Amino acid sequence: MAVAEKHRRGAFLGLAAAATLAATLSASAQVNPLPPEKAFRFSARLVDAQTVEARFIIAEGYYLYRDKIHFAIEPAAVGLTVPRLPEGKVKEDQFFGRMETYRGGVVVNLAVKDPKPGQQIVIAAESQGCADIGICYPPTVQRVTLALPAGSVVPDASGDPPQKRWFN
Amino acid sequence: MSSRLQRVLLLAIAGAVALGLGIGVAVWDRNPPDATALLALSLPDTQGTPQSLRQWRGKVLVVNFWATWCGPCREEMPEFVRAQRELGPKGVQFVGIAVDQPDKVIQFAKELDLNYPALIGGYDAVDLSKPLGNRLAALPFTVIFDREGRIAHTQLGLLKPTQLRSILANLL
Repeated sequence: MAVAEKHRRGAFLGLAAAATLAATLSASAQVNPLPPEKAFRFSARLVDAQTVEARFIIAEGYYLYRDKIHFAIEPAAVGLTVPRLPEGKVKEDQFFGRMETYRGGVVVNLAVKDPKPGQQIVIAAESQGCADIGICYPPTVQRVTLALPAGSVVPDASGDPPQKRWFN
Repeated sequence: MSSRLQRVLLLAIAGAVALGLGIGVAVWDRNPPDATALLALSLPDTQGTPQSLRQWRGKVLVVNFWATWCGPCREEMPEFVRAQRELGPKGVQFVGIAVDQPDKVIQFAKELDLNYPALIGGYDAVDLSKPLGNRLAALPFTVIFDREGRIAHTQLGLLKPTQLRSILANLL
């Protein structure tokens, strides 16, 4: 076989290999969406004895709906004040009208109404979002346990009602 | 190019394809899709009448899990309406399972002039799709059954019209 012919065959096979690899890699990215707890990672930390900084880190290619974010505290009796959520990006939806979404991340400062020193609290956050590839997740709840700064420790023996009560 | 190098390249291509397919399959459960629970299901339609999926045995059944709060779901439905109209007489039956509130479903069904049943499943209904391979419980999720009740295709996300028509043509 002539040398030029050999090089052309080699180049073709190399190109075919590269194209196949690229196609399968992009196909796998398309069919491999993140689970919602990874796409919309929730974290919370105490800024002071009465303030919780709640944060969603939103993966690239995903977005959350502003009006679908809700917060709760356990035990519910402790009480939580949820401020007005930051403004999101406005999206005109054919069916629901004006909607606001978050991308990248969103931070909300929650006020703990009646904290007891040394008490353990759980901040629950519900969110609902979608991926740009064209799928949506049902509402997902994530929970973070925090320990309020210690004083005299008072164990909390009260049970929580089974129904979750959102504070916003 | 030496035939040895050719063999290596061909193996590399085969390996890449296998890897791609493997990653795609990893999204699904390790167990094969199980439609038993779904086909035994009975859910209320928009009029409150319980409808059993069993009544459509023998049809090419397209079960679509959707919700009004899912934009991509709403976007693909007009094509389902078209396909139902054209292929219904040939034995295709679309059935929507709405992971949603009844009033929203009724309103959207009216706007779309929906020509196939919309069954109301409530927010937990998406769990019914998990045994079928919807590990993330995301929407839209579509399962297509052949006339013998076997799963012919499952799809997470938008089902392209050309792909839909091609699958249905093969089953009719």
